[in-house]
Amino acid sequence: MKLNKLKRQYIPFMRAGLQTMIAYRMNFLGFVIGGLVYCFVMYYLWKAVFTSSGGATFMGFSMTDMVIYLFLSNVTGQLTFSSASNDIGEEIKDGSISMRLIKPVNTDLSYLATELGCSLMKLIVFALPVIVGLEVYRFCVFGMVEFQPINFLLYLLSILFAYLISFRVNLCFGFVAFYVKNLWGIGILKNSIINFLSGALIPLAFMPEWLKMILEYMPFASMSYTPVMIYMGKYDVNEMIFRLIMQLVWVMITYALSRIIWIGAVKKLSVQGG
Amino acid sequence: MIYAENLRKEFTKIVKEPGLKGSFKALFHPHKEIVVAADNISFHVPKGEVLGFIGPNGAGKSTVIKMLTGILTPTRGQCWINGKIPQNDRKNYVREIGVVFGQRTQLWWDLPLLETYSVLKEIYEVSDKKYRERMSFLNEVLELDDFIHSPVRTLSLGQRMRADIAASMLHSPKVLFLDEPTIGLDVVVKDNIRRAIMKINQEEHTTVILTTHDISDIELLCDRIVMIDKGKNVYDGSLRKLKQNYGQMRELSFETDTSEHLTPEKFYKGLNLSGEDLTVKNDKNIFNVRFNSEAIPVGDMLNYTLSITKVKDISVKDADIEEIIRRLYKEGADEIE
Repeated sequence: MKLNKLKRQYIPFMRAGLQTMIAYRMNFLGFVIGGLVYCFVMYYLWKAVFTSSGGATFMGFSMTDMVIYLFLSNVTGQLTFSSASNDIGEEIKDGSISMRLIKPVNTDLSYLATELGCSLMKLIVFALPVIVGLEVYRFCVFGMVEFQPINFLLYLLSILFAYLISFRVNLCFGFVAFYVKNLWGIGILKNSIINFLSGALIPLAFMPEWLKMILEYMPFASMSYTPVMIYMGKYDVNEMIFRLIMQLVWVMITYALSRIIWIGAVKKLSVQGG
Repeated sequence: MIYAENLRKEFTKIVKEPGLKGSFKALFHPHKEIVVAADNISFHVPKGEVLGFIGPNGAGKSTVIKMLTGILTPTRGQCWINGKIPQNDRKNYVREIGVVFGQRTQLWWDLPLLETYSVLKEIYEVSDKKYRERMSFLNEVLELDDFIHSPVRTLSLGQRMRADIAASMLHSPKVLFLDEPTIGLDVVVKDNIRRAIMKINQEEHTTVILTTHDISDIELLCDRIVMIDKGKNVYDGSLRKLKQNYGQMRELSFETDTSEHLTPEKFYKGLNLSGEDLTVKNDKNIFNVRFNSEAIPVGDMLNYTLSITKVKDISVKDADIEEIIRRLYKEGADEIE
């Protein structure tokens, strides 16, 4: 009953997110093409690294692994990408957060639902085709089907967790706008830190052992590295369960954190203009 | 219904010295200053009343509205609306109110207008039947039909404002907060909006708080006005009383024959009045005489004018609420200085 009500109230937000995304078709197309171009640039970069290193594998990754890693971590990054901090920062800056506060809905759930709509769209139009492409590539290289449905399903679950963490981290960050009013500068800083620490730029496996240890326990790894590793079958069963649980723990911690910050921040809110 | 008690809101503002150097200085050593946007604001609005909440730009009207709607938390003081404190239980509280901020929109920017309404229907849990009734009512008063399928970003200001008003009324709120709902609109749209407000107030006894700079909004809609200036209450009472207290000023405008020589001094001397009670301005042969009708009755003024000159055309203007408010604003400013 309660769930039903929840569904009815937030699904419109989700649908709106989806429709908003379609409303700007060129924007969406640019986003898909841009993502792919980035992947190919990274592909040639790493190809050069592999060629110059001389060996067939580099730190436990074969070139095929690397290709899968590059494309998949990009896809994962897009799916778990949360613009909550931008959106909320923007809304605080121009004061339109007022319009959200006068609605009888949970503020963060309304953001979440809108974004899930976008992510769903990305999954269908962008992620699934890329994953199919990757499997075709693997088939061509190995001459047999490497696709593992279990891993794929766990990957989806892990992505959901990753998304929730990413959303909450971004939300916490977005609330900083209650204090500093303009987020742009810190936003750039945040993105580059997350890109590096989450392994989106360089696989964490390539990092020095001590750094890898630390990073793997931080929430950033849970945001992109974990799901990719699960899909690639780099974890055994025990480790997979461990990683998923760790993700769940981070979901809860970041949730609690964002709630606490929200309660403090809303008291400090000063709507600018109008 | 609505009680506001000693509401006060302070903002911290970073004061920047002019120029690039000042900007750098503010970056490292921000000089903070406390701005009081609202101070000691108290009033009460009974159920079913339309309250005009007025004051010059920057008086703190919007700040007060934002505290009443639960967006801002007062620094001091409290408000109760429908027996609820907005800040304590925001989600349940906002279910019973409708809000329009004239300078913002609550509509979904990229979606067709109708989509926004169906989203609102779910959010406020309006039943299908009620929704249909409501939409046809709103369609009729606000004439939404022409643009209900267009994306909101393509609407004109007048259309958007009508759509926003409709959005705030969709769930039959007990209280409506309208912050400058007629800003920048033409007469026809204004009339549409006023009719909608009037209708919903009469039929459902909706309590309305309305801020506006448009005097006709107040004259047509408001039972009572509260005026604030520089964050403080300046006046609280009926419009009629305000007119009685401040509205004795009349304006007489007439045109003389060009051949005749008439000067304002002739009025001051002949009537032995000046300053607050009488001002005369002339532009060639057009004379504007503003006078206090308690110091000199309108009839006497007319007689005197006709006795000293040959009049081609004449008109008497009634107590102008705009003028009253201008005077009140000025007095408020004087008090503070």
